[in-house]
Amino acid sequence: MMRLVLFIASLPLLASAALAQQQKIGDPPEASNMRLVGWNDLQARSAYQPTIHHQGDRWIAYIGHHGGTDAVPDPVNPMTGKAEPNGTSIVDVTDPANPKYLRHIPGQEGKYEAGGAQMVRVCDGASLPKGDKNAVYMLRTFGSEAHEIWNVADPANPKLVTRLAGLKDTHKSWWECDTGIAYLVSGAPDWRVRRMTQVYDLSDPVHPKKIRDFGLPGQQPGATGAVPTELHGPISTGPRGNRVYFGYGTNKGGILQIVDREKLLKGPAAPTDENLRSPEVGRLSMSAWNGAHTTFPMLQMPVAEFAADGEGAKRDIVMIVDEAIQNECREARQMVWFADVSIEARPMMISSWTVPEASGHFCQRGGRFGAHSSNESMDPVFYKKMAFIAFFNAGIRALDVRDPYHPVEMGYFIPAITEKTDKRCVREGGQDRCKTAIQTNNVETDSRGYIYIVDRANTGLHILELAGPARAVAGLK
Amino acid sequence: MLSRRTIVYASLAAVFMIGLGAFSTYVRWDVTHRPWEYDGWRRITWPFPRDGWDEGQAWRGHGLEVYVRPKLGFCGNCDTGVVDDSEVDRVTDIDLVDPLFTPVASGQRIQITDLVGRSRIYKLRSRGSSQLAEAIAVSYRCDLVVAIVVGNVADEELRRKARRFLEADPVQDWINAQLGEK
Repeated sequence: MMRLVLFIASLPLLASAALAQQQKIGDPPEASNMRLVGWNDLQARSAYQPTIHHQGDRWIAYIGHHGGTDAVPDPVNPMTGKAEPNGTSIVDVTDPANPKYLRHIPGQEGKYEAGGAQMVRVCDGASLPKGDKNAVYMLRTFGSEAHEIWNVADPANPKLVTRLAGLKDTHKSWWECDTGIAYLVSGAPDWRVRRMTQVYDLSDPVHPKKIRDFGLPGQQPGATGAVPTELHGPISTGPRGNRVYFGYGTNKGGILQIVDREKLLKGPAAPTDENLRSPEVGRLSMSAWNGAHTTFPMLQMPVAEFAADGEGAKRDIVMIVDEAIQNECREARQMVWFADVSIEARPMMISSWTVPEASGHFCQRGGRFGAHSSNESMDPVFYKKMAFIAFFNAGIRALDVRDPYHPVEMGYFIPAITEKTDKRCVREGGQDRCKTAIQTNNVETDSRGYIYIVDRANTGLHILELAGPARAVAGLK
Repeated sequence: MLSRRTIVYASLAAVFMIGLGAFSTYVRWDVTHRPWEYDGWRRITWPFPRDGWDEGQAWRGHGLEVYVRPKLGFCGNCDTGVVDDSEVDRVTDIDLVDPLFTPVASGQRIQITDLVGRSRIYKLRSRGSSQLAEAIAVSYRCDLVVAIVVGNVADEELRRKARRFLEADPVQDWINAQLGEK
């Protein structure tokens, strides 16, 4: 009885322990087997996609931004002294310990997801079949209304090359640098969803050629009945792999669609049910509670446990990452899923992984807790060995994925907040209740083994490296 | 070792806090589950299968059925809200009522209390050629509230009656609780 009384009496203490988990300015970062190498504040702009490009003897980070906040719609660019709508940050990360901010290209006016220039991909002109060999091309979204291509051969002085406008939304596009084929996440005005795919030939970035519009049957103009879940983004394996993996949904009703690239590019373009269905070779419908933000293929993975088996020693795996949307866990948990797509017509979910909430009382820290995205580089340094998952207030998580049936966390890094870190609020009793927490939104890696994470709550770019046993998993010294 | 008095006071405090929590939970449960009858409307069981969103509320009255539920964080554009008909087709759950829905005409702007959005009338082909429904999507920042009115919504007076009900206390109290009393 006395134990029960003591337990009940200790409940308020437990609650205050959870409160103690909230981040405060001045607290150090939380880390395991990962360490901070360098940092840049990105002018306190909310960040989405980082893309790291090896450009001559330099390494350049191109970082897309969401629109500004209610408090600061257009942050001041200290390099120009002007208030500029969030767009694209260009940062020289050749020396990762001392990243140097080179240029901000303003984006579309508008706050949060309604403005900015979230997405960015980069291809060398020398690798594109019809590109200017001296150019480096950056493909970016311009808010919801356009895609743009800039020549960033001199990253401090980018020049606009092409603009594809007249859209109602854009998002997470993919660009094959060896062929120039681009899968642009767009909102064609007459389609029934905000986001679908416009396939373009951008092998000559000065003269874009439209190939076709694509989406799930039912999304096209003139269709009737239920509208399938809208696109989030595709990843292509190019002509060699001949597959494009489309992720539909962010936090609900996710769909992984496996598409024959050749049929997609060469099939009849008219967006009829039949023509949209024709390139599909497989589909995995997820729970209504989970979306498919990133669909990252890891094909022909040798699985040690199956090495002696007569069949299936190598598996085609797609890592699916959901996106948490709601602050403070006010939705089903969004996490990481591994699908075995070796038999493409019958893809099967084989494992999942999430940060244990209790390990940091993340539901009470403020902001979003849950997965958002993974690194997308297929450079051998990490590919099929280590995956990095942006987990909002739980920072970045390093997963050993060599056995995708049993992914294991090898390290994590939760950056410290700064005075620029934006608050995140929920409504309670008609009032906003706000907390400040890191919101690690996206991640990318480079072939040197550095990990670049960016923050949705304006805390900037953190450049990290693995430490301890996590380095050994990746084969790094 | 804690003194007996400290333990008693701490226990009383804990019991008070637990009681407060239980009362708050009960009030929330009661608002959600109370059998409402209001001005000719009677609450019925939510008829649709479970999906990614929390269950909504359903009412029947005046020859109409009304289904309503919030969809938190689902607005396509938090600044503009719902501004085009394709979004009404996509977000309002009209496909739950009839997967073969067909729009009768272009939609129109609508305001329910201080929430603004769009509504559109559909023919429910699965239920026969004369069956109609009005789908409504209004938003507050990034949160949507969607409603469907099934019945003779070609009758403007009946449509007005349904909208008045959506603005009435039983519906608004529940919606406000779901939206965090926005």
